[in-house]
Amino acid sequence: MTTDIRIPEDLYDGDEESVITAWLASDGATVKEGALIAEIMTAKVQNEMTAPASGKLTILKQQDEVVAKGTVIGQIT
Amino acid sequence: MIVVPFRTAADGIARERALLEAGKPAVLLWQAQADALVAPEAWLRRDGVRALEPGLARSGWPLLARGSGGGPVPQGPCTLNLAVIAPLQTGTGIEHGYRLICGAVAEALTRFEIATDTGAVSGAFCNGAWNVTAGARKLAGTAQRWRTTPGGRIGLLHAAILMTPPPDTVWSALAKLHRAAGLTQAPRPEAHVALSQLMPETMRSASVVGALLRAVEDRLSRLLSGEQQAA
Repeated sequence: MTTDIRIPEDLYDGDEESVITAWLASDGATVKEGALIAEIMTAKVQNEMTAPASGKLTILKQQDEVVAKGTVIGQIT
Repeated sequence: MIVVPFRTAADGIARERALLEAGKPAVLLWQAQADALVAPEAWLRRDGVRALEPGLARSGWPLLARGSGGGPVPQGPCTLNLAVIAPLQTGTGIEHGYRLICGAVAEALTRFEIATDTGAVSGAFCNGAWNVTAGARKLAGTAQRWRTTPGGRIGLLHAAILMTPPPDTVWSALAKLHRAAGLTQAPRPEAHVALSQLMPETMRSASVVGALLRAVEDRLSRLLSGEQQAA
């Protein structure tokens, strides 16, 4: 089963974009549900992203990439 | 209410993070005794910025990292920090947190007949749409850090308020940092204003701190009572 790691849709009202400021787990690493795995920044808000499931992390969008809300930035299998 | 004095801004930032990790509503007012420039962690990963660190430290402005977004800001006796840990309901946008912290600063200053607004200021350090401004100059900067917990979303809402103008040496340090980060516009002193320039010294420190605390605690109480009603 694959679980998407997605930029939340409800962070802000407008169409501002976010930047992935850090991946705190490596591509291919085993992560636990609830663990802090990434940080994204939008309008001076640093948002901590936690693993939505336990399993192997695949990073789809790299650090410093600009992403829109709803974007899948990684997956856990 | 006492403003918690920390030796360095790193100590104040660490206390804020500890409060966020505890996940309970809280208010912290703090001030660093030593000057420093505090920048988002992403800035400190840039090679050009890292190369500047020894020189900045020698010039009296060591570079420290923080966990919220934006650009470098001066910390030290010139800056009063207001940090609020607040629950933020899922579906609440970032504007909600900014309205809470900016509204509290604005209400506190209204008691001293200082009118403020919010908005970006060209030439301001750590510029953003949610600066607190007075006379179209930046008086306070704000930023947030959000954490999602099993119990819901928790926000660290932060305002850095200029109590006095920063020492003149900060402007060249900021200009170097901005150049190293590839930014063409350096912050300009005239884009900023400090509380010491807006109100008499006799009224300043303790009375502003008290007003800030009342305003932010009122807002936090309303937020918490609203959450209880919704539950």
